[in-house]
Amino acid sequence: GVECVLFNEEYMTCVWGSRETLTANYSLYYWYENRSPVVECKQYLQDRGVSIGCHFNQSEIIQFQPFHVLVNASLGGRTLEIPSERMELQDLVKPEAPVNLTIRNMSSNQLQLTWSSPYPRAHCLQHAVRYKSNKDTSWTVRAPWIRHPYGCARGRAVHQHPRHGDYEKYYTFYVRSKINSYCGSTQLWSEWSVPVVWGSNSTSKGMVEEQLHWFWIHMVLIPVASCLLLLVLVVLLVRMERVWVILMPRIPNPSKNFDELFITHNGNFQEWAGVPKDFMESFKPNYSENICYVSELPTKESYEPRWEGSNHPPSVMPGSPAAPQEHSPYKNSYVGA
Amino acid sequence: MERMIIFCMIFFCSSMALTAAPHKITKYKQLLKTINLLEITVKDKDVELLHTPENPVDECLSTAATCFQKGILKLQPENSQVNSTVTQAIKVLRRFTLSHPGKCESSCESYEKKNPKEFLKSFAKLIQKVI
Repeated sequence: GVECVLFNEEYMTCVWGSRETLTANYSLYYWYENRSPVVECKQYLQDRGVSIGCHFNQSEIIQFQPFHVLVNASLGGRTLEIPSERMELQDLVKPEAPVNLTIRNMSSNQLQLTWSSPYPRAHCLQHAVRYKSNKDTSWTVRAPWIRHPYGCARGRAVHQHPRHGDYEKYYTFYVRSKINSYCGSTQLWSEWSVPVVWGSNSTSKGMVEEQLHWFWIHMVLIPVASCLLLLVLVVLLVRMERVWVILMPRIPNPSKNFDELFITHNGNFQEWAGVPKDFMESFKPNYSENICYVSELPTKESYEPRWEGSNHPPSVMPGSPAAPQEHSPYKNSYVGA
Repeated sequence: MERMIIFCMIFFCSSMALTAAPHKITKYKQLLKTINLLEITVKDKDVELLHTPENPVDECLSTAATCFQKGILKLQPENSQVNSTVTQAIKVLRRFTLSHPGKCESSCESYEKKNPKEFLKSFAKLIQKVI
């Protein structure tokens, strides 16, 4: 059959064989369904004198219109028709390979690969990235579905950064693109792009020495320099009272104010406070007092006998003394009355 | 001051115009995804055949879009489980319109009737053409 490919939507080639298989004279006729009349190919592709295909210009290409192709082979007067094929050209687009591959370091272990595509409608493309390091044995292919509505077709591939000592590793990246299913139904990938390399390629001794040099700088020079700097700062700090006071402020000690009280006057507050001497004297007593002992005397009512069970108290006879035991100094005078 | 305001307005409007273009593409991508979903969830047998514009020429793009709009409403879900999916998809697709200058000589009825899956394939092709 006839194989037609639209290259980047700029031109198309339809090929029906190769020099080895073809012997006759071929001519190609094409037309678009319900649209154009049957037209013969204007520009044949020749291989050592034999037509093997036809080249179509951009003006002769119409997508989304069924395209019919008929190839006539004439050999020695007989004409043979290769069966006509009906195709839809939007399913035969092969975009051009991506260009301007660049790699950028994103962070400690990420690389960003970007590219742009010469195909006019970037939103119609999907891409695949292929890479390996010089130490890997096989290629890694990443083909995510990358969609961008407009602008350059860009891609990003996250990749592991070679480790610090691994200076002999370098990575090679390739990218290719294909029309995605938003714009057609094709299986034709573009060619792989021109590769881009990342990492150092050299394995010479000079490189190793340079790395060692860098190592010494990082591990020795910088610590020593920073220690010296620290030392200088410390010395400066100690020597300069102004700076020292800021870091170690003087804590106020009020005990000095009380030196007088505790040392000179031996804790005698009144002396230190300045209380006048005669005022102090006035508090001292200038007389003496005897202690007066006080006790309670016993009374006569406490000896009167108690009359138990009787209501009336003892009768008091007039003229007779109240108690026979009583001795009164007035007794004689009483009887005499 | 006035010049500054006018300049700001022009700047704002032009930036809106720039952002509008990609939205169209995003919208069309969404429509394509919806059509792909419908292709597997609509009933294809024992259903009414639909007028299907096949590879319409540029002048007939808006007629074709209207034709697809009408046909979409007649689609039915394959089973009750996909009922809501299909209803939602039809709601999204039935607002699809295209505008293109030129007079179209064919009407919707002049196009051949095909089954729903072919109808949807042609619909997808139309969107691929304009995306």
